This record gives sequence, structure tokens and C-alpha cells, in this order.
Amino acid sequence: MWKYLLKRFLLMFPTLIGVAIVTFVLIRVIPGDVVELRLSGERGAASEELIQQERVRFGLDQPIWKQFATWIAGMPRLDFGTSMWTGSPIWDEIKLRFALSLQVAVMATVVAVTLAVPLGLLAALKQDTWVDYGVRIFSIAGLAVPSFWLGILFILAFLIIFKWLPPMVYTPFWVSPWQNMQQLIWPALAVGYRYSAVATRMTRSAMLEVLREDYVRTARAKGLAHRLILIRHALKNAMLPVLTVIAIEFAFLIGGLVVTEQVFNLNGIGLLFVQAVAHRDYTLIQALVMLVAGIFILVNFFMDVMYAWLDPRIRYR
Amino acid sequence: MAINARADLATATAEPTSSARWWVAVRAFARRRTLGAVGAVVVLIMIVVAIFAGPLAPYDPLAVDFGAMLTRPNAAHWLGTDAFGRDVLSRLIYGSRTALLVGFGAALLGATLGAVLGVGSAYFGGRVDLYLQRLMDVFLSFPLIILALALVAILGNSIPNLIMAITVPMIPRAALVIRSSSLTIREMPYVDAARAAGFGHARIILRHMLPNVVAPYLIMLTAFLSQAILAEASLSFLGLGVQEPTAAWGLMLRGAAVDFAEAAPWMGLFPGLSISLAVFAFNLFGDSLRDALDPKLRTL
Amino acid sequence: MRHRRIGILSSLVIAVLALTVGWTVSAVAQDKPRSGGELVFVVPSEPPSYDAHREETFGVIHPMAPHYSTLLKVDPFDKTGTKPVGDLAESWTISKDGMTYTFKLRQGVKFHDGSPMTSKDVKASYDKIIFPPTGVVSLRKSAYRAVEAVEAPDPQTVRFKLKWPEGSFLLNLASPWNWIYKADILAKDMHWYEKNVMGTGPFKFVEHVKGSHWVGKKNPDYWDKGKPYLDGYRAIFISSSSAQVAAVRGERAHIQFRGFTPADRDGLVQALGNKITVQESPWDCILMVAMNHHRKPFDDKRVRRAMTLALDRYEASRNLPKIAIVKEVAGIQVPGTPFATPPEELAKLAGYWKDINASRTEARKLLKEAGVPDGFSFTFKNRGIPQPYEPLGIWLIDQWRQIGLNVKQEIIEASAYYPMLKRADFETTMDFQCGFIVEPDLDLPRFLSDSDANYGKSGDKVLDDLYNRQARATDPEERKKILRAFEKRLLDEEVHSMMTLQWNRIIPHSSKVKGWTITPSHYLNNQLDTVWLSE
Repeated sequence: MWKYLLKRFLLMFPTLIGVAIVTFVLIRVIPGDVVELRLSGERGAASEELIQQERVRFGLDQPIWKQFATWIAGMPRLDFGTSMWTGSPIWDEIKLRFALSLQVAVMATVVAVTLAVPLGLLAALKQDTWVDYGVRIFSIAGLAVPSFWLGILFILAFLIIFKWLPPMVYTPFWVSPWQNMQQLIWPALAVGYRYSAVATRMTRSAMLEVLREDYVRTARAKGLAHRLILIRHALKNAMLPVLTVIAIEFAFLIGGLVVTEQVFNLNGIGLLFVQAVAHRDYTLIQALVMLVAGIFILVNFFMDVMYAWLDPRIRYR
Repeated sequence: MAINARADLATATAEPTSSARWWVAVRAFARRRTLGAVGAVVVLIMIVVAIFAGPLAPYDPLAVDFGAMLTRPNAAHWLGTDAFGRDVLSRLIYGSRTALLVGFGAALLGATLGAVLGVGSAYFGGRVDLYLQRLMDVFLSFPLIILALALVAILGNSIPNLIMAITVPMIPRAALVIRSSSLTIREMPYVDAARAAGFGHARIILRHMLPNVVAPYLIMLTAFLSQAILAEASLSFLGLGVQEPTAAWGLMLRGAAVDFAEAAPWMGLFPGLSISLAVFAFNLFGDSLRDALDPKLRTL
Repeated sequence: MRHRRIGILSSLVIAVLALTVGWTVSAVAQDKPRSGGELVFVVPSEPPSYDAHREETFGVIHPMAPHYSTLLKVDPFDKTGTKPVGDLAESWTISKDGMTYTFKLRQGVKFHDGSPMTSKDVKASYDKIIFPPTGVVSLRKSAYRAVEAVEAPDPQTVRFKLKWPEGSFLLNLASPWNWIYKADILAKDMHWYEKNVMGTGPFKFVEHVKGSHWVGKKNPDYWDKGKPYLDGYRAIFISSSSAQVAAVRGERAHIQFRGFTPADRDGLVQALGNKITVQESPWDCILMVAMNHHRKPFDDKRVRRAMTLALDRYEASRNLPKIAIVKEVAGIQVPGTPFATPPEELAKLAGYWKDINASRTEARKLLKEAGVPDGFSFTFKNRGIPQPYEPLGIWLIDQWRQIGLNVKQEIIEASAYYPMLKRADFETTMDFQCGFIVEPDLDLPRFLSDSDANYGKSGDKVLDDLYNRQARATDPEERKKILRAFEKRLLDEEVHSMMTLQWNRIIPHSSKVKGWTITPSHYLNNQLDTVWLSE
């Protein structure tokens, strides 16, 4: 098992480097650069020499490999440079938004699991009955409704029915939990409901699979009490693929919630991403991609560890 | 229930002609998996509407009519008009065309290309598998919307480019799924036997591996279809997708629809419902398809 | 008897007078500014750097202008936004030959760190703007080409020496971007102001939380005693426009200083009734269609003329204001300002005829003459901004359809837009103009053949000549005549560009906000020193 885990651990690095290279090249292929954007503002006229002058200051006139080398060299020191758009250190730009996105992601995952596991279980136990149909319709609805539409409906409902509006400014949880919750519970619910759809179906099909195993069938034949015990046992085995899905979805919740953030006016990583791309802020984009990809790759590795631990086929290699 | 399935399948296989057999299988599917059948019917209706948009739509979706700006649903305009006096129903009908075009285009391309990579990766194994896997991992690490955003920024705004932008993030996801399905077949003894017998790669892949990935491929395709439609809607909402004055559901949800959400809710309500319905239908159908095709779940 | 009558009469007069005075006093007392309170407003975008000399976005002005003073500013109570008044300048004289401007500065003005403001600070700031050293970006350098030198002969006097007389110089100096910085700081580090704040304005800097908000508090040593009325302000950065409206509607913010859409305004009025006050004004912004003069068939002026003849501007002016932030039919100047062409004169130019059918018939004829087939297809590149670019794009395409032109719209993302324009990589495109003050010398240079902003690349020497003549004209009537000729050549004879409709600035705000008057530019009137909250 350890050899397997070591191999998986080592594989993280080439992936990370691959992501770094692809990002680096990809964003430089997009036409337009940060200097032109800064100096053109709303009236759109700055001289060519001014632009060239500023380019040198950002190091944009250097050949690509050199820019890459400079950036990579900063990595070990955890120096991600400064944002090309504002000139502030990258970590300053990211930290508040990351805290918010992380919190929403965690809360949404909690909502998703709370919905998915009981519902998926129920649907599997009562397969092909109206309960099953009901659960499936409910969960697919979460997937089908566009999140931005849902968000707009939410806000409108608040204003028209309750004449109330969630707080506009982010208060960290440790500063004021009540304010914080008031703002973040709604996007967490909207996003959580959406992600419960995938998890519910996964739970349902995983449970169905397990319920058809021989040992479960035998238990059924034996009687009710045994069945209950075995369902709990079956659940444990079914949880593995479900956990995989939940973990992968969690990784995507950081940085993938662009439209939700816009609608609920959340100052999160998704919007920062969009802004950074719009501004061609290379250093910020690179840092954000490394952050999101890093989380994704770490989560994947964590899943590998879990699988290795729980799946005897791998454990006893 | 298991007994019923057996009986159905028995009746199905007992029929002489292939078309009749197919028809019975469909009926069996419809009876057993009602939800999926409903989904399939909705999808079919959508396809028909998209193809016959011309004769079906009461008005020209591009026709601006200042005299009828923001009118509520009435006899002349069944679903009302938008900020420019354009008929919502007609734009909805033509919008289905855009949705299906982008949806099918991106889903088919993404699923197929991904499947090719997945099968190849599983079959050849070793170094090829390792490198391809890493490459797929790299692209999987980008959130879908961000990758699509970047691609649109590079390629520019047009329907073919939009399809490309949604296809690219789908390829690694498809490759992952198909690869794991192919791996189980790869392990099977008859593949090794075939190699030993000297059969070429192409033959083995085509005759042995592909048929077994058809089921997960189809299921994945329906999932991709709904994701592609949602992606198009999200991108259009962000302003990066289909452009005015083309009729597209996501596009109909931005700008004036949000501004007038209270005063003229029909502008945003119907496109939102259409998107939801389409995604719903594809998902229901895909779900039931998986239930029917997944050998592990077959109650035989 | 007579005495008695006089007595009664005089008591009546006194009573009436007393009543009048009492009524006026109470009315004025109601309008008397109340001190205290924090103004909360929303800003759609954040400042990329803190130095206004190198930025052009309102995202810098709205949260930061209260920290600074300028030499001259545009009168915040003048609705036309065309009157320069002194901010740091107490008074000024202009030499007879119009080449020397001498300003007397106010006494006792202090920077937020307590040090006094003198003429050397004004000189240092303007040297940075007009004669920036290498490595320093000054976006407005070219606006001050006429300046020879800036002098500070004594601590209370600043003198500008010009190379040639310029009628619009005072207005030019009233630019809201020309913040006065501290000379000592600039001497040590020219880039200091990009990341720091130190000014003489009515509010001191408290904090800026990235992506979230900006806070300022009252400057107790502000030179204008009694002002500012507010204790402080808070600018919240919200990029989504529906969230901005929701903030005002949910009474979490008082005002947004850029502008809302007609739908937003109607929604707010309906929801909040008289808790909302709406101020509207023509906006010193307009969208134009630029045609690439080096691509067929747009090199043929008959085709360009046909394209402007197709547009029914009057119908649009009646209908588009319901859904877009545009309103009036305009020529080269904002309607209602001193040099704008009156509507009857404007109606003579191509595209402004009252009879749209005659106009479109003429258009079709011209297209046929020029050999453009019916159903001819070309692309129109537009910015992906909801207001008013999108609705105007839809309108333009529909109008061109009426004369048999099949136009495809291509939305170019903001970041790629300028490069696209500069490379002239378009057939037709949406061009735009936004100014801080309505003045031909500031609005028209973009149409000159050597201008960087002349994206269509129309090289017209006659137009250049007309511009120069109007810039040197000292008699306003003479100037108007030349401007009419300029407009005719630009929009009617050669059709180098075509105007759509003038933007309409709509600011619905909480009725508690007093002392703020709308002007045609969202870059003006942002110091907040005259603003007060009524409860």
C-alpha cells in the first residue's frame, strides 16, 4: 500500500507543474495585456511609447521562458509576486476572498451531504416506487435549474416578500457569526441543493449495487433484524464512491462558483478569477489557478489515501 | 419486479423482426421506467421544435417592434414580448435550435474525443496511459467555467468557438469515465488471448472494447448534453456566449430580463423554465438509460 | 383718523413682512444642512491604483475624490457642468494676450498630516501631470500641450505660461483628475501616490479592504469651515448591477454615483415611493459608429451616408429611454450646452431628417449606386457591456436591416477591445466618447487625422482645418458658425462617424441625501463636501 501511496504522492508534482505551464502559456495567448488595459480606461487613447514603457516595468517584454523562470523561482519562498493590476501582494488580494469561498464551499458540502445521504438511501430502498421518483425529480431539479436564475429569484423573493436583504459586505465568521451566516447561508443553500443532486444519485446507485450483493440477499432472506444490520454494513461500503463524488465536487466549489457569486454579490474566488482574466492580470491568474488546482490535486490524493485504506484489494498489495 | 423484467425481455427476444423487437424494447422501457420515458419524450419534442422552428414560430425572432415593448402574455403574443417588442415564444423556439446545436455539438465532440483518449489510454497502458492521465488531470484541475472563459477570450465569440470552448473541458472528464470502463475490459482474458493470436490493435479495440463502453458512453453523453446546455446558458449570461440579436435561452436571461424581473417577469421566467426543462429531461432520460443498460443493475 | 389708518396699514405691512420673513426662515431652516451621519454609496468597480494622474476610471474618482482638492473644479451646483470655480484657487487673473494665467491660492489649507499647502505643491503636482519624468505615466499630458511652464513665484501664487492662447484653458484646468499632491513626497518618490493617500480634501483616508469597501472620515481641519457636513463615508464595491439596485432598495446604501437603468429607477420608485428622489440629466457620453475607411465598401462615402440615413433617431429617442440609458438626439455636443446645434438646424443633416421613409429611400438608392447588393452582410463589433452598448447594438442592426443590410454582431471582450480598435481590426464598430466637461476642444480632437482615437482612420484635412479655426476663435458666435460647419462635414457631407443617442444619467437616491446636484458627468461633484443627510 505504501508503495502505491508514494507513487500517487509523487505524481502530484508533475501534474502541478503541468498546470503551471499550461496556465502560463494559455493566458499569454489571449490577446490584450494588462498595460494596454490600465492605460486605456474608458476613453481609450494612450500613446504606444507609454505602453511600451510600462510593459518593461512589468517584465512583459522578456521572453516567455524567462518570465516563467522568474515566477517559478519565487515558488519555494511562497512568493507569488504582486498583482499586475493593483500592485499589491497576491496573498493580500486572495486571502479574504479565499476565506469566503472556502466557507461557502464547506457549508454547501454540508447541505449537500445532509440532503443526499438520507434521500439517496431512501430512493435505493424504495426503488421504482413513487418515493424513488419523487427523490429523483427533486434532486434533478437542483441540477437543472440554472444557478444564476435561482439566485435572482432568491433575491427578488427576499425583497418583494420579506422586504429584507442579506448583508452586502462580508464579515468573517470569527468577527460576527450572525452577520456572516445571514449573508452566506443563502448561496450555501442554493449551491448545496445543486450539488446534492449528483451526490444523491451516486448514493442511490451505490446503495442499489450493494443491496444486490449476495450477502445482502442472504440477509434479506434471513429476516428483518439481520437486514437492518446489513443495511448499515452495506451503507459503509456504498459510501466510498459517494465520498469520491463529494470530494471532487468540493474541489470544484472553490473557484467554480462564478455566476453564483455574481448573483449573490459574494466577494469570492470565482469573481476574482473573472476579474483577473478580464484585466489580464497574469500573476493573479497564475496564483489563483495554482491554488484551485492545488486543492483539486490534494483532494484527489486524499481520496487515493482513503481508497487505499478502505479497499482491501489495494491495501494488501 | 425481477420476474416482470425477465418476462419483458423474453417477449422482446421472442419477436422475429428486428424493428418489432426494437419497438417492444422501447415499450418495455416506457412501461418500466416511466420517468425516463417522459424525459425522452420531452427531448424528442425539443428536437422537433428545433428542426421545425421556421413554420412553428409565429413571429420573426429578430423583428423589433417598438409599439409592443414589454407587453404581458396575451392573444397576440402568447408568452409576451421582451424589451424590444420581440415575441418571447418565437425567440424561445429559435432558442431551442441554438441550445441543441451547441449542446449536441459540444457533448458529442467532447464525449467522443474523450472516449477515444480513454480507450486508447486504457488499451495501451504503460507510459502512454501515464502521460495521457497526467495531461487529463491537468485540464481537469481547471474549473469548467474558467477554462471555457479563457478559451472564448482567445478564440473570440461565435457559435463554433463557443462549441469548442465547452468541448475542451469535457474531453478529460469523458476520458476519465471511459478509461475506467475500458480498464475492466482490458483486464479480461480474451483481450490478451486476442493479442496473442496476433489480432491488430484496431481490431481488438473496435470489436472487443468499444461495444462494452457503449453503455457508459451513452449515459455520459446525456449527462454532457445537459451540462453543455447549462454551460451555454451560463456563458451567455456572463456575456461570453451567443451574441445578440441571435435567439438563445441563456442570452434571454441577461440584461433586460434581470432589469425588468419584477415589472416584466415573463421575459426571464420562460427561458429559465426552458433551460430547466431541457436539462431535466436529458437527466431523467440518462438516469433511466443507465438503470437499464448498466449490467450490474440488471435484474436478471 | 389718518394716523389710525396709517397705524393699521403699517401694522399690516409689518405683519406681512414678519410672516414672509418667518416663512422664508423656516423654509431655509428646513434646508439647513445637518451635520453628522455616514454616507454609504456603492461603486461598480475598484481603483486599480490610487494615483488619479494615471487612471481614467470612475472607480478611482468615486471613493477617492473626497480625499483631495484640485486647483479649480467644476461648480457642483451648476446642472450644465460647464462653470469653473476655485477649489484651492481663491481668485485668478488672465493676461490681456491670454497667455498667462495667475492664480491666488487660499490661505491656511493643510494636508491631512498637518503640513501647509503652498504653491510649490501645486507646481509639483502640475509638473507631474504636464511634464512627467521618465517612468511616470501621466494620461492627461496631451491635454496641456499649450502649457509652456508652471511657476510658483511666491507661496500663495501659481502662474501658468502658455505657448498660445487657448479659450478652453480654465475649463481644462478644472479637470477632476488633477489632484494636488504634496511636493515633498513627490520629490522623494514619484510613485508614492500610486499606493498611498495624502491630500487636502474634506475627508481623511481610513481604510480600503480589497474587494469590499473604502472608508473615509471627516477632516476637521478642512479649509472650508463648517464643511464637510458628513462624519464620514463608506464606499462599497459591488460589481453586479442588480446587487447595486438591491442595496439601494434594501436601504443598505444611499446612492450610486454613476447611473442606474430606467427599469431600476422605476422599480425603486415603485418600491420606495417618496423615500427615493430621482435626479436625471443628459450625460456627457455618447456612442458612435466608426467605420473603417480603409475597408470596402466603407471607403465609399455613399455607403457611409446610407448607413446613417437608415437610422430613425427620433423613434429611438421616444422608445429606447424606456429600456436603455439613452435619451436625446444629439450632434457633436451634448444638447442644451452652449455650443450644441439647435434641433431645427440638426434636422437638416443626414440621418436627422424628420421623414424617415424619404431618408431610407435615399439610403437604398445610394447603396445601389455604390454597387452594394441587397442583403449585403458585414460585421459590427461591439463591447459586451449591458448598458447602453447592447440595446444600441440591437437597435442599429435592426435599423440597418430596414435598408437591406444583413449585419452580424461580434462582441469583443473589454480587454481585447482597445487592441482591436488600435489595430483597426474591424469593418464597423461601436466607438464611444465620455468627457468630464462639455467643451468642443475636449470632445472633438478625436476626429482629427493625427488623433490616436481616430479609429476609423479618416484623414480629412478640411476637418482638421475647421477644428483649428474654432479652437483659436475668440468670438463665441464666430466659433459657433465654424462648429456648425465642422459638424456638417463630419456627419453629413463625409459621414466619417455617426452619432447614436446621447446617454441619459439617472440617479435615484435615498431622499435623505441632500446637497448633491447631478451634472452631466459622473466624474464631477464627487468631493462630498456639500452633501448632508437629513436624518
